[in-house]
Amino acid sequence: MTRRLLPLIIFFVLMGFLAQSLYESDAELPSPLIGKPIPEFKLRNLITEEFVTNDQIIGNISLVNVWATWCVGCEIEHEFLVELSKDSDINLPIIGLNWKDDDQLAKLWLNQLGDPYMLVLKDPEGKTAIDFGVYGAPETFLIDSSGIIHFKHIGPLDREIFELDILPLIGELN
Amino acid sequence: MIKKTLSFILILLCFSNIKADELNSNDQIRYQSLIEEVRCLVCQNQSVAESNAELAKDLRREIKLQIQEGKADSEIKSYLLNRYGEFILYEPAFTQKTLFLWFSPIILVLMFYGWFKKIGN
Repeated sequence: MTRRLLPLIIFFVLMGFLAQSLYESDAELPSPLIGKPIPEFKLRNLITEEFVTNDQIIGNISLVNVWATWCVGCEIEHEFLVELSKDSDINLPIIGLNWKDDDQLAKLWLNQLGDPYMLVLKDPEGKTAIDFGVYGAPETFLIDSSGIIHFKHIGPLDREIFELDILPLIGELN
Repeated sequence: MIKKTLSFILILLCFSNIKADELNSNDQIRYQSLIEEVRCLVCQNQSVAESNAELAKDLRREIKLQIQEGKADSEIKSYLLNRYGEFILYEPAFTQKTLFLWFSPIILVLMFYGWFKKIGN
């Protein structure tokens, strides 16, 4: 009797696994860059046009935020980023990576919506974004004072995610 | 015959949007097979060869550039793996972690074979 039921049991176990994966969030892929230093780059500053290298942005615990004016999610998170940049208790510099964007549109965006960034680097060809393993803006990385990536968030950042995932990590790093 | 020729032309047309004129024929074959192995992460159910997403275009350009620089397939694949992880390649690497995945079809076939034999008896 049990032998006959065995295939049925296997079937239901299998269905269980499949059902479980239906409800799992598959939007976020794990990044192999966690625990590794930020990639090497030499990019122009959006405003001053000066070249900036990866060594020049490290030194503080900070956020690297990948954004573009064509990105809908970036508009959603922008208000929170502006709010965060003004928060002197948290005091967390945000470095913007303007991904495959138009310079004029990007500057206009910052003028109209506010500029939360300590500096904005532009990556018109998306080469540095590939080095960061970016596949959809907005993406936000938490880096420590020696440039090691500790956390990556894909999608719009908000206060809830920030307080839940990023703030405790900053506490640990300090 | 006409049907065959027509479908051949149609298949050719499908690939005509992927330009890699500057590659020699051997590299062109490598390029083509590489971009078919790489998953477009934005769309996830298309390969980088099929997708028109901006990121897929960038990845195609990067793969082509690295072929022109004389990089081996394995170097290009590890370039992608180091940035995007296992998920970017359609065929998972044969490692200890994926051992069960690779052998599970054989295990399943053996299990069912044993089971059917018992039922038969």
